[in-house]
Amino acid sequence: MSVRALRIAAGAELVTLAVLLVNLATAHWPQVSSLFGPAHGCAYLFVVIGTVRLSTAARTRVMALVPGIGGLLVLRRLGRRLSA
Amino acid sequence: MTKVLLSIHVLAAIVAIGPVTVAASMFPARVRAGADPAALRTLHRICRVYAVVGIVVPVFGLATARSLGVLGDAWLIVSIGLTALAATVLGLLVLPRQQRILAAPPDRGGRAPARLAMYTGTFNLLWVAVTVLMIVRPGSTTGA
Repeated sequence: MSVRALRIAAGAELVTLAVLLVNLATAHWPQVSSLFGPAHGCAYLFVVIGTVRLSTAARTRVMALVPGIGGLLVLRRLGRRLSA
Repeated sequence: MTKVLLSIHVLAAIVAIGPVTVAASMFPARVRAGADPAALRTLHRICRVYAVVGIVVPVFGLATARSLGVLGDAWLIVSIGLTALAATVLGLLVLPRQQRILAAPPDRGGRAPARLAMYTGTFNLLWVAVTVLMIVRPGSTTGA
């Protein structure tokens, strides 16, 4: 999995979670929850698997497990390593 | 909403698992035929990329099952177990062995391609079993 794919998955992870939480706090349409719930689950798993493929560092891999912002944290760590 | 979830689940199964089945089956045969490494790398890439896309299948499958209220049914639990087994075979046996063959092409008549073909066949059979279970749904009362 490329860094680009990881970036897309990380964005989707955060956006889908935001949609779920906003929906929970406001209108709470069950349709939105049942569609964005599995979408968020997929994005989360994409981030975890993509991170395992891209990095062997234990800390980076654990960061991928953080809900919602895990993907962004991983990208930040990877970016720092690439620029260092 | 069940119909939308089920459509995504079935579509993902066709789009993601289909290419993995075909490319993984071709891989050992092409190795034995002495194919160009670039072609083998492409086959391996198809397997690897679509295996990850395949995550969509069980995730939306679970969502569909929950929405249908069939999560506790025996046929579904067996399917989930077989899917987990198929994913393990693909992730821990098929993909790493493909990678090993790409890194160090085996000698002619070596055993590695035959072993890989066996694991790939096992993966394919597991998927056939899951697909048939999904269609037949033994013991289900929701109709054919």
